[in-house]
Amino acid sequence: MGVPTIGVSAVTMVRYATEYDFKYANGMPIRYVAVPFPVTGPTRAMHRAYVNGKDQLSGKPLMTAISDALTAPLTDSEKMTNTTEVQAQAEPRFLPPDTEDNLRQLFKDKEWTDYNPIILPTEERVKKMLAGTSHKPDEVVNADTFNAGRRELTVEKVAIAAVMAGAKPEYMPLLLAIMASGVPYGNSTSSMANAIIVNGPIRNEIGMNPGTNAMGPYNDANSVVGRFFSLCGKLAADLRNNVTAVESLGNNLQYNNLTVAENEEMLPEGWQPLHVQMGFKPTDSVVTIGTGWTYISSLGEVQPAYPANMLIADYMRSLSALGSAATLFVDPTVAGLLNNVNGYATKQDFSKWLAGKVEKTVASYWGNGVVMTSNNAMAIQGLAPYADWSKLRKESPDALIKPFNNPEAINIVVVGGAIQTTWFVTDFRLRRGTLVDDWR
Amino acid sequence: MNRFRLFNPLFAMLALVFATCTPAVISAGEKITVMNPAITTKIAQRLPMTAPRLDTLEGKTIYLIDNQWGGPEGAYQLLEEMQNWFAENSPGIKTVLRRTKGNMFTDDPELWQEISERGDAAIVGVGQ
Repeated sequence: MGVPTIGVSAVTMVRYATEYDFKYANGMPIRYVAVPFPVTGPTRAMHRAYVNGKDQLSGKPLMTAISDALTAPLTDSEKMTNTTEVQAQAEPRFLPPDTEDNLRQLFKDKEWTDYNPIILPTEERVKKMLAGTSHKPDEVVNADTFNAGRRELTVEKVAIAAVMAGAKPEYMPLLLAIMASGVPYGNSTSSMANAIIVNGPIRNEIGMNPGTNAMGPYNDANSVVGRFFSLCGKLAADLRNNVTAVESLGNNLQYNNLTVAENEEMLPEGWQPLHVQMGFKPTDSVVTIGTGWTYISSLGEVQPAYPANMLIADYMRSLSALGSAATLFVDPTVAGLLNNVNGYATKQDFSKWLAGKVEKTVASYWGNGVVMTSNNAMAIQGLAPYADWSKLRKESPDALIKPFNNPEAINIVVVGGAIQTTWFVTDFRLRRGTLVDDWR
Repeated sequence: MNRFRLFNPLFAMLALVFATCTPAVISAGEKITVMNPAITTKIAQRLPMTAPRLDTLEGKTIYLIDNQWGGPEGAYQLLEEMQNWFAENSPGIKTVLRRTKGNMFTDDPELWQEISERGDAAIVGVGQ
């Protein structure tokens, strides 16, 4: 713009902007002033108090700090372009030798773990892990760009995290595909998390459990693969609490990342596995990763007087419908009832029915800040249906809308042991699957 | 003493057998080397601040911009209160309150151009 410009935001955001983001992403030493958190939501009186209060960075009266930031001459440091003296040192391949106890403490101090015990990644263990793939250790699997700093994740770094998580070498193709998917490990000021859905022969090859207790702590592969994503995801994005990881509440799902194998063997006739729905062959091994926040259990068994389809639709009203996304995890018995009793010949049929059935008030839809931040831009551009929904927000906030306007974003995963007719409704938005076979 | 001497070679043999049959373990104080899980982070290309600061705000036009993080009400009310403060305490400073087009992830070159042509300074409010 060519004119003096400053930023004003909540102190938490400003600290990130002036420290990590400035160093690794933005590169410009923008001047900020900070008000207390939150900025969005307080009353006018509270905002007035912010303006009449103090800058949370300098301690000066806020408006004095603003005046100073716009008038104080630029310093030599602010005019600086030479960065040679501040370049980060390359991380060495090995850590300095130390005792096992000290190394375990170091890994915790550096926030490289999930604070459960890890296996220390000796060269010998990592070498054994690398035998699980034909890919070379120095091959770059992905470069994390979601968090600032563009860290190049190599096959060797994935193997190191795999050792730490307790993985077996035969898990490596799946672990590499997870990291190659490009889906970032959930990190937001909101409580973002991930879901990992595995399809195809790899499920049985590594002994994943798609049956009874599929979502509980009863299987090595389900548990370790899910844990691996937390360890490797944190390392790939350099996530550290209150430095780069800033979820206000966090999300307990991040201990296992909702890692499941679809129970393909128990799908009703006509219902395709998730990866086949995406265009992969049934014999392909595929991992699909989702991003979301919400995980709601049906609690009890299905009742014929108010069957699963109706109750699922009710529960979906509490989802944000961001991107029209929902992922349902249903027991094979529920899938059977939906197919045989309720007449949904395919998963897609049920998704279409839900898209036409689920309603919520326009006020509730826009009441979600993430939806508002993301979708209001489309409303401003006049795009349907968001422009109409935005208009209704002011004119008729109690009007009912059908927020799941894209049935293709409503996914159904059949998983579980056919012991109880239960299901989970979630708001996970699935990316296209990644071929595990490419990483064998 | 004689008994002790007799037992010594036997004890040594037993110790040798025990040592060869027991798997190697890392003693508590022994140092080991492990691989480094951390990945080198690239520092951003440093961009200099170039717009000279103002001598005074008096008589100048300041744009107050809400970048719509948190939606159209994200930081808007906070900026309205700043605008009120300027009107009450520094009436010689003109303020213009605007929202960016789109949301926090979208650019608004038309607004930046307008500020460049008609403004002397800008305060960008970020909701959250």
